[in-house]
Amino acid sequence: MSQAQSNSNTIAAHEQILRFPKGQKPSFGPNEWLIWSGSQDEGGLPDLKHGKSKVLVPFAWWVQHHYEIDVQAKTKSGHIGVWFAADDDILKHADVIEQGKSIWPLVAAHFPIFRDGRSFSTAALLRDRFQWTGEIRAIGDVLIDQLLQGARVGFDSFALRPDQDLDVALRQFDLFSVTTQNSWRGKRSLLATI
Amino acid sequence: MYRYDHIDQTLVDQRVAQFQDQVARRLNGTLAEEEFRPLRLQNGLYHQRHAYMLRVAIPYGLFNSKQLRALAYISEKYDRGYGHFTTRQNIQYNWVTLEDTPDILADLAKVEMHAIQTSGNCIRNITSDAFAGVAGDEYVDTRPICELLRQWSTLHPEFAHLPRKFKFAVNGAKEDRTVLLCHDVGIELKKNAQGKLIADIYAGGGMGRTPILGSLIKQDLPWQLLPGYLTALLRVYNRFGRRDNLYKARIKILVKALSPEEFARQVEGEWLYNKDGDDNFTQAEWDRVAKHFTKPAYKSLPALTIEQITNQASDTEKSAFARWLERNVKPHQVPGYASVILSLKPHGTVAPGDATTAQMNAIADLADQYSFGELRATHEQNLVLADVEQAKLYELWQEAKKQKVALPNVGLLTDIIACPGGDFCSLANAKSLPIAKAIQERFDDLDYLFDLGDISLNISGCINSCGHHHVGNIGVLGVDKDGEEWYQITLGGEQGNNAAIGKVIGPSFYADEIPDVITNIINTYVKERTEDESFIASYRRLGVIPFKEAAYKNKKEHAKKSNAVEATGDAS
Ligand code: HEM
Ligand code: SF4
Repeated sequence: MSQAQSNSNTIAAHEQILRFPKGQKPSFGPNEWLIWSGSQDEGGLPDLKHGKSKVLVPFAWWVQHHYEIDVQAKTKSGHIGVWFAADDDILKHADVIEQGKSIWPLVAAHFPIFRDGRSFSTAALLRDRFQWTGEIRAIGDVLIDQLLQGARVGFDSFALRPDQDLDVALRQFDLFSVTTQNSWRGKRSLLATI
Repeated sequence: MYRYDHIDQTLVDQRVAQFQDQVARRLNGTLAEEEFRPLRLQNGLYHQRHAYMLRVAIPYGLFNSKQLRALAYISEKYDRGYGHFTTRQNIQYNWVTLEDTPDILADLAKVEMHAIQTSGNCIRNITSDAFAGVAGDEYVDTRPICELLRQWSTLHPEFAHLPRKFKFAVNGAKEDRTVLLCHDVGIELKKNAQGKLIADIYAGGGMGRTPILGSLIKQDLPWQLLPGYLTALLRVYNRFGRRDNLYKARIKILVKALSPEEFARQVEGEWLYNKDGDDNFTQAEWDRVAKHFTKPAYKSLPALTIEQITNQASDTEKSAFARWLERNVKPHQVPGYASVILSLKPHGTVAPGDATTAQMNAIADLADQYSFGELRATHEQNLVLADVEQAKLYELWQEAKKQKVALPNVGLLTDIIACPGGDFCSLANAKSLPIAKAIQERFDDLDYLFDLGDISLNISGCINSCGHHHVGNIGVLGVDKDGEEWYQITLGGEQGNNAAIGKVIGPSFYADEIPDVITNIINTYVKERTEDESFIASYRRLGVIPFKEAAYKNKKEHAKKSNAVEATGDAS
């Protein structure tokens, strides 16, 4: 059952997370993170009654509330990460993100609809510009056919939309053995072979 | 011409396999149409009015006879015996099926062709001068850069879902034959004082419902730095281009909203961070690509004078041949050679830019026989044999006549650019093809056309402007009024170095009025022109008023006529 059906206050995600760390093989793992949409529970963190122990909060909410005591406590125990909305201008908050590097175990970028490619640039900026080395997760309308692009710009985990077929998803990463431009995962084939 | 290495070939083959799987999922219902749509578009597959349409890339317009034969084969096997060459140096098939498409792509891959990114909200096929590498007025051969950019943009992961489509054009000649300023990004290549290859970047041009000419945003960028700079540019667009309104999503709207200066500043800010990165092109890449664009094995031949060439023809044919030489044959960099434009606009044509299976095969033979087996597709929807010996022009002309591709109307009023319009396109407000045909029928007298000289007439079936009506000296635009097809006229558009957007002259016309309207506009020009003055020069000197008055001269009578029809109750 998807979270969207059980709670409109969260962003739906597959129960299995597709992980594809750089240099490793893709695999599935359980989804420990609740993705809080921030649309309700005004001011406070949601209670985690869905069997999840960790929560991804909207970045904009973090900017407002990160100094609150309960947020700080939860952050200290490694149970809070942030997700960037497609229209968050992350460059405007470079300082917050720099600080976040040492306290968020996970960040995510949201696809409001699969054909909105802004979060590709967000991930690319996090990797290139902020030198983010931790996990970056794709969340929201994440479909099988955008996994490959996501993997190449800097995502290394994917919370697929609940209806997506995991076996088909897993096959995506083997489709291409060559590339003609650099990406987070490696140089274009021509340079890689020189 | 560029030949794939194992990287290019592997990529294209694997892309075919990827699309096969996507189509299979679509057909077994696990991939919804709405979600399949952007995927098929990125493989050039549209759903048109009657059927699927497949748009195949001809990167920067350059292809060879083997590829043209493969295109001919596809037109016969999977379509209805013809293909349509477009303004962006692609070819379209109007009647393919979804089920066949993976096979078509596999057939294309066998001859180093594909349909990758010929549509969709991504970086589209990169266009350039059809005469690159041979044009007399060229200062930089654009083909190596175009090929490097083709590779860089192919399946670029970050820019796979932009706010809207993204079109590059690259120019390196004195005369701009690429409509550089009507592209999302126009790249003008030149050499600096030290002989180094550098680029000026124009951004934010485009047609559609808000036609805007691009603005210069970067000067003298060394060619190696293009990928990093363009990444920065596209990143700004990807992040801040409008996505709330389809009509405001093109980069031109962003550049205009921010101002070109502010847009350039933001790109520059972004570029700071990857300026020195290894996105940049390397000399090794240049060498790998550029070796394919060396000159063919030209003979050392004497340059012939026009008279010597004309004298190849018999007395009875001389004047017709001379006309063709004047309009369809262009000067070449190498003595003894010329470039030939094969007109795909014979009068009475079904659609400007169409070629039948038989024509494609025959033209492939002509390329082998007369032009080192190479061809180019032009922005005006014609084909070019770029390297023809002057001494063989007469022979070639006779062969071309047999294929009905020798009409000497290049650059003349009947060399019409037209989109498929209401006959095929589901977005159309009105038909384009019958209008093009009616104008060609009205102006069928070659002597008269010749006397009129250079005039561009472009027709679009709706405001999307696929037929480039904005930059035609005379533009015809299909509009919808209460479910009826009407046509609006623009005047004063121009492509090339003096690119300009035409102005609407007033209320629109019925289809059957258009030939008269064009005639009246042309008559005004003929009456008012000074010696050797082109149509566009006369228009600039005289202004719109005399042309406008002429265009509406018969308008009232028509209105009366239609009232009269209504009055008699004969409304059919
Ligand atoms: C299935 C048929 C076609 C469809 C549905 C289609 C759709 C569109 C749309 C929606 C636009 C507007 C883009 C915008 O301004 O945002 C457009 C523009 C354009 N199309 Fe097409 N088109 C079709 C066929 C063609 C053909 C056959 C050609 C070439 C002969 C062509 C070349 C162009 C060009 C050059 C532009 C405008 C220039 C620009 O602003 O970039 N299209 N088309
Ligand atoms: S201008 Fe309009 S009618 Fe013509 S092809 Fe483009 S979208 Fe279709």
